[in-house]
Amino acid sequence: MSSSTVSVSAATPTQHAFHRKIDEIKPSKADINFVIMDYLISEGYPRAAEKFAKEANMILPVEEESIQSRVEIRKAIHAGDIDTAVNKINDLNPQILDTDPALHFALLRLQLIELIRTCTSTATSDITPALNFASSQLAPRAATNPDFLKDLELTMSLLIFLPSDNLQPQLAELLKPSLRRDIASRVNEAILCSMGARGEARIRSLVRLRLWAETKARDSGKDLPPYIPLGLQDADNNGSEANGNSEAADIMVQ
Amino acid sequence: MFRRSSYASVAAGNSGQPPQTAPTRSGAFSHLVGSNPSSGAQANYPSTSHSRPHPRSVDIDGHNNMSTSWGRNGPLPSYTSQFGYLNGYGGGIPDGPLPSFFVPSYLRGSKHAEKLEEVHNARVAAHRDREYRSTHSSNTGSLSTSSSSVNLHKGAPSHRGLTHDIVERAPVYVEEPVVPWPTKWNDMDKYAQMEIDEGGRQAKYGGTPKPHDEAASVRADHPMPRQCGIYYYEITVVSKGKDGRMIGVGFCGPKVVLSRIPGWEPESYAYHGDDGQLFSNATTGKPYGPKFGTLDVIGCGINFRTGTAFFTKNGHYIGTAFKDIKNNQVYYPTVGMKRPGETLRANFGQEPFAFDIDKMVQAEKASIQAEIARAKSPHQDKIDETDFIQGFVRQYLTHDGYVDTARAFKEEVIEEVKALAADGDEEPSYVEAEEDLDAINRQKIRAAIVGGDIDKALKHTSAYYPSVLRDNENIYFKLRCRKFIEMIRRCSELTVQYRTTPSKRSTTSTSNNRNSTATDEYDFEMELDEQLGVHNNGASWGDGADLHADEDDDIEDKEAKLSQLMTETLEYGMELKSEFSNDPRREVKRALEDTFALIAYENVRESSLAPLLDTAGRTPVAEELNSAILVSLGKSSSAALERLVQQTEALVNELGDDGGPGAFINVRRDFLM
Repeated sequence: MSSSTVSVSAATPTQHAFHRKIDEIKPSKADINFVIMDYLISEGYPRAAEKFAKEANMILPVEEESIQSRVEIRKAIHAGDIDTAVNKINDLNPQILDTDPALHFALLRLQLIELIRTCTSTATSDITPALNFASSQLAPRAATNPDFLKDLELTMSLLIFLPSDNLQPQLAELLKPSLRRDIASRVNEAILCSMGARGEARIRSLVRLRLWAETKARDSGKDLPPYIPLGLQDADNNGSEANGNSEAADIMVQ
Repeated sequence: MFRRSSYASVAAGNSGQPPQTAPTRSGAFSHLVGSNPSSGAQANYPSTSHSRPHPRSVDIDGHNNMSTSWGRNGPLPSYTSQFGYLNGYGGGIPDGPLPSFFVPSYLRGSKHAEKLEEVHNARVAAHRDREYRSTHSSNTGSLSTSSSSVNLHKGAPSHRGLTHDIVERAPVYVEEPVVPWPTKWNDMDKYAQMEIDEGGRQAKYGGTPKPHDEAASVRADHPMPRQCGIYYYEITVVSKGKDGRMIGVGFCGPKVVLSRIPGWEPESYAYHGDDGQLFSNATTGKPYGPKFGTLDVIGCGINFRTGTAFFTKNGHYIGTAFKDIKNNQVYYPTVGMKRPGETLRANFGQEPFAFDIDKMVQAEKASIQAEIARAKSPHQDKIDETDFIQGFVRQYLTHDGYVDTARAFKEEVIEEVKALAADGDEEPSYVEAEEDLDAINRQKIRAAIVGGDIDKALKHTSAYYPSVLRDNENIYFKLRCRKFIEMIRRCSELTVQYRTTPSKRSTTSTSNNRNSTATDEYDFEMELDEQLGVHNNGASWGDGADLHADEDDDIEDKEAKLSQLMTETLEYGMELKSEFSNDPRREVKRALEDTFALIAYENVRESSLAPLLDTAGRTPVAEELNSAILVSLGKSSSAALERLVQQTEALVNELGDDGGPGAFINVRRDFLM
């Protein structure tokens, strides 16, 4: 029916049968829009969500109170202001950190990293605040869990090496913004879960399902084309992907 | 009720005939829909009370008198009965030769069950179509057969929007036949002396055995579909024969002889009641479980993912029975008995099961979901999942012309990136996605449709992308239909406003004005009108300002407007009808019929057709047009995110067709909702 009008087909003779199977599937736009909205809401992009509700003729899910605080908490964590973040999380629901010691520890460790960063970058290199914080806040928790202890030890070794331009990868990892981003995202999911919502945005599960399914299908010897490109880098944003990984990003399983 | 009568009079006036028949849907609009006007059996209204000479007086009188009396005591049940079976559809089974359809509890929500249901619905629709054509005595068939009205009962979440057109989720592309599951014992595939009863569910060994035959067996009508991942059925021993010798329950290939007890032949697997042993391709069994006899419930299941089979007794799992189930073999449920009089009753999922098979399937699903959650990209160290996902979202928003959203998203992401990079270790650069001009044009067109201004959308499309409507007649048709729906919406809004005018004038007027749009492009649009031959009839439909401008009008004015509106709606309807009535495509016919059915209702918003009027129905039309424009521009019609979904579904299908883990995943239900 609609396929006759929106068909992408132009089937080249060499096209793998699987591509045809892909083309036969017609995802509904309503579903896709739902996934987008779900992403904007759960990952905390309130202004985009509002615009999207208007443009896509959807009803904005009423979660507004939490989305604003989630955005603020994310901002605080991204900026390295863990104190503010923890306070805001506790304002929202003190249970969240109480019931998730690993998350709480991760936040405290992030705070320690920020302290170390500050201490070692000042002229005096006075590391007392970092040491105090580590022994008062993290050490008692680390004693209860070997993983925490390992993490704490690694973090503390930053004190020895900083400042340095040539950290070993394991340590350099601790200073990357991606660590803050990961923890912010864990916090966000924990807040969503605490409200009874699905913790993770659906698009994340979907990406993982796609990855799993291709890996699994290849492992079990299904007849698939060598590459199944996503077209994330097609004409629409031609070559503008600046991270240099564009090709790898377009193919999930190699 | 007055609306219907006024429609009737207007319609009658237009066609130059006095309204003789009762103003039911079939009566008043028969000349539009092409149905038989003599459907008097449903229309028991006293026709004379409505044949008024002046439409206006009917409006007023109808409003003041008849709406009350009819609304309460009138013979509305004629409608109720027409649509009654629609409501009862979920539970009831349509009469006629069509087989009943059921979904075993553990398969509810599975992809395979959805596919089978679609096939079944299509079959029911085709069946009704045939009936409709053969009897042709009423026009109810036109409504009820359309899959869209069946879909209405599925209850999608509100913000998803119900679709008016039948196209979007139509059960039409079925790439390969969907394998049905067993529903009964097969009367054509049994030992001669086996008696099949109770709609095929009961198997009884009757008569006397032939001297050389050792047993009587029967197979079910369909094999156990491996696309289900796990398939399970149960039997109840209704009565064990006099000697109580032997009953075998299991599964076997299509060619296994039926004069032997299941389990003795190659490709035959069974659990025997006399000794509780397992048999496969052997006359000597292996110890397995307890014996079973009269009133015991025995379950038999295959897990195609693991290639194992198991049995249950009276709701208890006995254990893995066979481990060599091949995924390229076809197995039918089978039972066999050795002595006459033995009777077994099967439950292929028509009834609740004794064993909690749902739980087993849930556990299987959960373990697969857990595996998926652990999936890691081999190059995850290189590409951050968050960046990757933002890429999808960004590309979708620009690709589909959500210009404002894309802009807002970009701003919010930049804020985020700046916060992260505050101390300048590493500058995660935000990728600039170019906004093309087309995106803005497409945005305008989308906004027009979403705002209900179909004329404007048609004009813009013709101006910017002249080939699109020409090449996509289907979409052009949908837009025209949507316009008709918008007109009916407006009538319906105005009716409500008109009724409540004395008390609620101000509030209704503001709510009604929400569709009004700026008229800065007025000349341009007029020009386009002429090119397109679009009938405007003096009132621009999306531009409601002129309709609501003077709120202090008295009732007569409102009424006049309403009447004019109705006339225009009908004229447009007839134009639409004459343009497309000869279209042979079934979906076009259906959409026309569904759309026209709307005018039959006095208060459409409370009718079963209300979802057609829902503004949510605008979105799919807008999306489809947008895709067509993209194709005309030589771009891919689908964004990367859509391809991600397509690929995921296709891959999961690959993993499920042979009963693998994909059989336990319903991408849409488990991941998109």
